[in-house]
Amino acid sequence: MRKLLLSAAAFSLMAVPAMSETTYGVLMKTLSNPFWGAMELGVKEGAAAAGVTYVLQAVESDQAAEPQLNTCNAMLESPMDAFITAAINSTILLPCLKRANEMGIPVVDLDGNLDHKIAADAGVDIAFTIGSDNVAAGAQGAEYLVSILGADAKGPVLVIEGLSGNITGQKRASGFAEKLAELAPGLEVVASLPGDWDRGKAANITNDILTAHPDLVGIFAANDGMALGAVETVFAAGKQDQVTVIGVDGNSDAVKSIKEGRLDASVAQLPYLVGKQAVEMVTKVKAGEAVEKFVFVPTMVLTKDILDAGTDPMLEFVK
Amino acid sequence: MTLTSALGRANVRPESLFVLIGLIVLMAILSPVFLSVSNLFNILLATATFGIMAIGATFVISAAGIDLSQGSVLGLSSVTGAALVVYAGLPWPFAIIGALAAGSAAGFVNGMLVTRARVPAFIVTLGMLGIARGLALVISSGQGIYGLPAEILFLGQARPLGVPTPAYILVVVAIISHYLLAHTRFGHHTLALGDNEQAARATGINVRRLRLQLYTLSGFMAGLAGLVFMARVNTGDPTAGLNYELLAITAAIIGGTNLFGGRGSVLGTMIGALIMGVLQNGLNLMAVQSYYQQMAIGAVLIAAVWLDQIRIRGRVL
Repeated sequence: MRKLLLSAAAFSLMAVPAMSETTYGVLMKTLSNPFWGAMELGVKEGAAAAGVTYVLQAVESDQAAEPQLNTCNAMLESPMDAFITAAINSTILLPCLKRANEMGIPVVDLDGNLDHKIAADAGVDIAFTIGSDNVAAGAQGAEYLVSILGADAKGPVLVIEGLSGNITGQKRASGFAEKLAELAPGLEVVASLPGDWDRGKAANITNDILTAHPDLVGIFAANDGMALGAVETVFAAGKQDQVTVIGVDGNSDAVKSIKEGRLDASVAQLPYLVGKQAVEMVTKVKAGEAVEKFVFVPTMVLTKDILDAGTDPMLEFVK
Repeated sequence: MTLTSALGRANVRPESLFVLIGLIVLMAILSPVFLSVSNLFNILLATATFGIMAIGATFVISAAGIDLSQGSVLGLSSVTGAALVVYAGLPWPFAIIGALAAGSAAGFVNGMLVTRARVPAFIVTLGMLGIARGLALVISSGQGIYGLPAEILFLGQARPLGVPTPAYILVVVAIISHYLLAHTRFGHHTLALGDNEQAARATGINVRRLRLQLYTLSGFMAGLAGLVFMARVNTGDPTAGLNYELLAITAAIIGGTNLFGGRGSVLGTMIGALIMGVLQNGLNLMAVQSYYQQMAIGAVLIAAVWLDQIRIRGRVL
């Protein structure tokens, strides 16, 4: 009896993917971040529109590199028609993606985590990369800060980077710092410290730098979680009228905080749009159409004015 | 009574106090703002969350136990407290009750498994590290629960009489806990259990009940730390407290708690936590990359225990 039940269970597991004609595998970093939740929503609606099904997996944190490779390999055990992956770093998934290519499955680089040259050297052909331009996102943060303080403004500015050594955080931080130096040379980045994507750590750094530089005028954090940790500290110190705090991502917490008049701005990526377009484009690839190798989905600066007005057409994609 | 003997009586590793003073002098020389009053509060504020957890760790480790789940329990507690108020719409005191209850419950489960199921504490709390983190992610759907009432923010962000509320909480908890460990029967039994379990049993100590109390206390402290954390950042954050259990254990060990039980002091742990807080703060003030912060704390941990060995054995190697 028990054996029968087991084989029935095994049969039903095998039967599910075979029922639909086209299935995309989607491997994300972690769902413990609203960013990837919004991207999943985009994938879901894109898949519904294209009439395909998808199998989505993620790992426990955006630092769990080896578990992601294991998950990647496990996913290839089920049949799929395309593999959309957001690798935790530029090399970890390459052996798995090579296997996918060998099985005739096109590979998509979601959110720009792979290096095309390194991938090619490892024998991986990336159909296309889709994501936000992180350098441009940082630069937009600098443009916003200068629009508030003016090009002649002077004063110290703090940059809170991401996890030490993480390329996304580095691009945002350097994009911000370079644009700021160009637009308002009087605004000086007095410290650029890694907040490790950790709210509490960003709060501590903010406290310390406010002490070292009591006349601080601006903070740019490489993601919203850290920006929210920073802005709560600025409020606790009673310096909200003096310090402009900017984050990146445009996640739901940040939107709430901006509406409440706490966080000043977030350079919103549009992960929903990234997910949706990724599915649309991969469908084109499957149909044999030529696509660009690099697709940049735009970013937008969310402020209280923009959110309260609610008229910007791009807001539709902020999830 | 010399300083050293007074410290010895309080079970404080004297070297740790000298390291703390040395670091303070060094940082004061290197950074002009280090010794300002507001910066000293920064250090207390940054020390508060893992310092509160380190007090719980001190009790458990003094009794020759270990609690690896504290960081995850911090995350679970903050999410539970925030969910009750933000999602369920309950009045603000439920954020406090929820966070403390979630922490204590996790600690109680740890204690039951250690004492009744006889699974080693290392295994039980390692398992709870995963379970509590996973549960926090489930409750919150993996997203921060933002927007707490002003009464809760008061616990993390206010500065009554110019001092941050978490600093008050840390100091009050530390004083009560120090008294509990150093001057009550509960504390003496804890140290006796860590020193020699057979002997403790023979003297009539209810070892099973004591262990259950100790793990519950450790969970409670993680819950309190979770409450302070969420009040500080205005969010029940399921990823909060990642690896904080290691900070807590490090603070306790630097402060003179014996990893194998029998010796421990809350006062010492506070010195250990402050050493780590001063290092992080000073290096932040000088805008030094955090790579060096991790290296510095690791080196201080090894040095503190090494100095202890030198004192006991009377030679360096």
